Amino acid sequence: MQSKIDKFTIPIGPQHPALKEPGHFEFSVDGEIVTDASVRLGYVHRGIEKGTEGRNWVQSLYLLERICGICSHVHATAYCLGVEKLAGVEVPPRAQAIRVLVAELERVHSHMLWLGVAAHEAGFDTLFMYSWRDRETVMNLLEGITGNRVNYSANVLGGVKCDISAEQDEAIRQGVDFLEERTRHYLEVVTSDMMFLRRTRGVATTPKAQARELGLIGPTGRASGISHDVRVDAPYAAYDIYPVKLITATAGDLEARFIVRINELFESYRVIRQILDTLPEGELTVRMPRRIKEGETVSRVEAPRGELFYFIKSNGTDTPERIKVRTPTLPNMASVLVLAIGHQLADIPMILTGIDPCFSCNDRMVVVKDSGGDNRAMTWEALRQYGIEYYR
Amino acid sequence: MKLSTMWKDALGSLLRRPATEKYPFVRLRAPEQLRSQLHWDLEACTGCGLCAKDCPADAIEIITLDRKAKRFVFHYAIDRCTFCAQCVVSCRQGCLKMSNDEWELASLTKEPLRVYYGEDADVETVLAGAPEPDAEPAPGD
Repeated sequence: MQSKIDKFTIPIGPQHPALKEPGHFEFSVDGEIVTDASVRLGYVHRGIEKGTEGRNWVQSLYLLERICGICSHVHATAYCLGVEKLAGVEVPPRAQAIRVLVAELERVHSHMLWLGVAAHEAGFDTLFMYSWRDRETVMNLLEGITGNRVNYSANVLGGVKCDISAEQDEAIRQGVDFLEERTRHYLEVVTSDMMFLRRTRGVATTPKAQARELGLIGPTGRASGISHDVRVDAPYAAYDIYPVKLITATAGDLEARFIVRINELFESYRVIRQILDTLPEGELTVRMPRRIKEGETVSRVEAPRGELFYFIKSNGTDTPERIKVRTPTLPNMASVLVLAIGHQLADIPMILTGIDPCFSCNDRMVVVKDSGGDNRAMTWEALRQYGIEYYR
Repeated sequence: MKLSTMWKDALGSLLRRPATEKYPFVRLRAPEQLRSQLHWDLEACTGCGLCAKDCPADAIEIITLDRKAKRFVFHYAIDRCTFCAQCVVSCRQGCLKMSNDEWELASLTKEPLRVYYGEDADVETVLAGAPEPDAEPAPGD
């Protein structure tokens, strides 16, 4: 009997699907060409939003900081800015400047990390090794300023914990000079290396209209010409004093994403130097009330991967009533599924890495309210029961 | 378009010493700001408990034996601590400090990770009632 196979599906993940984070992808292929793609996320759902409801405002800061290991500072900053707005507290200018300084150093480390990971996925391990060696410079700077390589805990409600001493000032300037020189070299590598360009130029090309339709944000969107950066559009912390230039490209392919991220590094170096030159004197913290006034607010910051959104609601006690987080990976994830179609299977890791995904960030529970009698909506108890039955 | 753009880096590295460190044979000096083991000063403490209240990891417990006579024991669980230094910020008396040099805290047993600060006699009193840290958990725990 002759069987006709019209669709061959390759499951990838949840373990090790190109990155060291869990996500399950299914790619239907016709030979080497991908014809359909689907994704399943949620393997690292940790219930952090719910967790904040059982902790006080101070404790929640450290829990939220752990949403992401790479961009922990922006999470803490978004939360602190929101809570300070609710409490009506004015944070000293020096503290705001240090927040921006640490945020830009964090962006440098995150983009360098991405550069290495993306190079690794393309099979260019030399670039991966050298970019990560150089990334140690910024990791050491962050450790020197805040006291930790990751989860810096630089923020407290009402200010920052760490100050910039004269020696640190000098160390940061030296580190940034070294990194700038290396970054210039890496920009040349990613725009001129023939073998590497075969993996990036014209791959996953997203025209501006399609990028807008897919809702791309952050450097991924800016590589397609979407002029959106929270630091520019709605300056927070000290970005109104230290303005950032918007970096965009028009090509929309993987090469453009490399160029945008690397050019953002130069912009970060410039801002870091400007902050060090004009760091205002003054206090690092102001007194915060333990109970936050009743109300709700929205806080937006630009994470290395795009816009990070916090909704914070207080009921007047020392515990948050509701915190909702939207991280930038989720809106970008849909583009992987659309762009994968028509590409070779071997390009998939590069396309996935191109959005700089962070799986732990985006795994969140959504409760759908059953308004129209839709039988797909389940109560928590029914969902739990379904899970038990499913795995029995 | 070039064929190889990183050969200079690769060849140059042949002549340089490795970028990696030889830990544990060579121990780097930790930066001044590094957050490692927490230390507590009994003299300054008022036993207000704000450090324990704000600790996100539930790593601090202030055991009050006699508030008037200032008989406090500070129980610090290193294995729970996330080294965020919020307790140091929260303490209004300035009696908490994180050292920057005691960062090699890994252990195969829990015993070295349970630290009790306070007068020796008070610590002994507390320890007499504390469960054995390395005991096997009872069935059903």
